[in-house]
Amino acid sequence: MRADTTRLAIAAAGWLALAALAQAAGLPAVEPKLLPPEEAFRFSARAVDARTIEARFDIADGYYLYRDKFAFETGPDVGVGAPDLPAGHRKHDAFFGDVETYRGRIVVRVPLARATPGQSIVLKAASQGCADAGVCYPPSVQQVSLALPAAGAPPGPVVEPRRKGLFN
Amino acid sequence: MPSFLSLPKSRALRWGLGVALAVVALAAGIQVGRHGFTWGDDRAAAALLAVELPDPAGKPQRLDQWRGRVLVVNFWATWCAPCREEMPEFIREQSARGGRGLQFVGIAVDQPDKVVRFAEEIGLNYPTLVGGLGAMELSRDLGNRLMALPFTIVLDRQGRVAHTQLGPLKPADLRRIVDPLLAG
Repeated sequence: MRADTTRLAIAAAGWLALAALAQAAGLPAVEPKLLPPEEAFRFSARAVDARTIEARFDIADGYYLYRDKFAFETGPDVGVGAPDLPAGHRKHDAFFGDVETYRGRIVVRVPLARATPGQSIVLKAASQGCADAGVCYPPSVQQVSLALPAAGAPPGPVVEPRRKGLFN
Repeated sequence: MPSFLSLPKSRALRWGLGVALAVVALAAGIQVGRHGFTWGDDRAAAALLAVELPDPAGKPQRLDQWRGRVLVVNFWATWCAPCREEMPEFIREQSARGGRGLQFVGIAVDQPDKVVRFAEEIGLNYPTLVGGLGAMELSRDLGNRLMALPFTIVLDRQGRVAHTQLGPLKPADLRRIVDPLLAG
């Protein structure tokens, strides 16, 4: 008798628990699962030499970037030239006409105007893109600190932006 | 201590109760995580209604001028293709149910000249205001953590949050959300 009551109580508790979970899980999904822009569009860069930076974007599956929304910037003492953007996928946009988009990995060569070998620079990269899930991100800026190679030295390592901590 | 508050003597029963409580707490946590605290949402909605944003002509406007109507506030931009794609449906709904108290208001995270050009192109029949990234922060307080677009908030006639949506709002979902609010 006592064992029966116990079993009954455990079963009841189990059902209650399941019902609570089902209620929480059964609510209509409010939003598509989305990556934050810095994860959807992973930026990294390396200094090829004192005049050239190679910027990379690793674009997550299901996301794309617009070719005409890139901008690169360093301090005024260094200065960037026109970035060498590869050709993208052409897409007709009802409002903007023909636009080009990128998926997967892209590599952009960014010339530096007035850098000196061995100098440390901060490269800021602005980009803008969307997810196939049907949302677009506002333009976002990511940045890396790079040490330019000394004259005649091999290219520097690939550097990723420092990730923000939990509380900053 | 009254007997109904005392813990069951059986170990199995206590264990079962513990598990049940933990799962209920977890489920409640999931709920809060998804929807935020309702009070916080309503406070954020009040802030949104009180904010002053320019219309494309530069004249400041407040959202609470439409209080008393069922308000669908849609954050959008011309640079956001999925935003532009859902707007013809909003135009249809505005003309079909505007008379019953439905009011769409856009908040464009964009440049005024582009907003005007696009509004003319699609024959926008509801007002749109223009906000910068500051306007996006208003949407963040209503659950748009990634500050992505489109983001849509449905407020009932009392200004309480009835629904928030990141990504396109399907026509059927829109009607399912808005109909009871118009009737009430």
